[in-house]
Amino acid sequence: MMSLIDLFSGALILASLPFFVAGTLGLLRFPDLYCRLHALTKADNLGLGLVVLALMLQAQSWLQVLRLLLIWLLVLIAGATVAHLIARKALAAGHRPWRRP
Amino acid sequence: MTSLSLIVALILLLTIALGLIRVLRGPTPTDRMLAAQLFGTTAVAILLLLGFATHSPVMTDVALVFALLTAVAAVTFVRRAEVDPMAPEQDVDDVPD
Amino acid sequence: MQRGDMWRRTAQLLAAYLLLWWLLTGGDRHSWLVGGVTVGLALAVALSLPAPAAALRISPVGLLLFIPYFLWQSLRGGIDVARRAYTPRLPLDPALIHYPLRLPPGSARIFLLNTVSLLPGTLSADVSADTLCVHLLDKQRDPELTQLEQRVAGLFAISLQERP
Repeated sequence: MMSLIDLFSGALILASLPFFVAGTLGLLRFPDLYCRLHALTKADNLGLGLVVLALMLQAQSWLQVLRLLLIWLLVLIAGATVAHLIARKALAAGHRPWRRP
Repeated sequence: MTSLSLIVALILLLTIALGLIRVLRGPTPTDRMLAAQLFGTTAVAILLLLGFATHSPVMTDVALVFALLTAVAAVTFVRRAEVDPMAPEQDVDDVPD
Repeated sequence: MQRGDMWRRTAQLLAAYLLLWWLLTGGDRHSWLVGGVTVGLALAVALSLPAPAAALRISPVGLLLFIPYFLWQSLRGGIDVARRAYTPRLPLDPALIHYPLRLPPGSARIFLLNTVSLLPGTLSADVSADTLCVHLLDKQRDPELTQLEQRVAGLFAISLQERP
């Protein structure tokens, strides 16, 4: 039988899916580099956050909880830093952002 | 929970495969790098889910290393891209749209 | 940097690296043989890098207020961009704006740069002197940058500069 915590974890894991799909969809559909960066830094990090939260509920020890948190924070920092670096590089290279015609 | 984690991990793998379209199309090297970033985040999620489903806590370490490496790889790319990162590549074997 | 600040910074870094090692190895006692050397090396490298202008000071109350704000905004940011990706007519109206920063240069500003990109519809694209260049997914939407700046100032226990 599923416990309440399992049910909650399962719901969180399922909830992460639409965000990962949105990240890929944004990557494919959005008109320029800058908009695609938005999709990557936000949708995917939220998806990972939900997975991490789900697994935290299942963790056997506090150490495991902290390590999961560390992974999420690392991915967050890396994603945000890289997004900024790529955007800055693109701007410096003279790439004008797409505008609604 | 175990089978759910495995199914979700598989679907995530599918989103990575779809993201490969952006890698193929580019049009700029930076667009290709974006896809690699997407893989970084998604692959970490897949590793965590697999680790949970197969009861192998060592997967957490793999995910951790993956998270670190993605960051290093992406920063290296941006620092090293001295050629105009926005110019479409002139590869002969480039995939036509 | 003042002498007191230097000690403070060394102590902060040492504590952070020890905690990190403990997290990575799961508190295995034998691992500290390697861990001690690694932490020492990391500390030496960190201290040999150019030091920030002032030691990091984080207000505990600011942190307690910032965490729920950040999580809530991340949730909104993810939902917002996902909704746009799913809508067939692609509701995007991007623009670049220049935001005059009121946070002083240093850690707080770098922290702001990173958080801007995780919040709804904003992406930090460039920073020069006292201006932050932000890419907006939708220029009709309020980017809420002033609010974020205030929260970051609260987190680092600093006051915002007057706009010139």
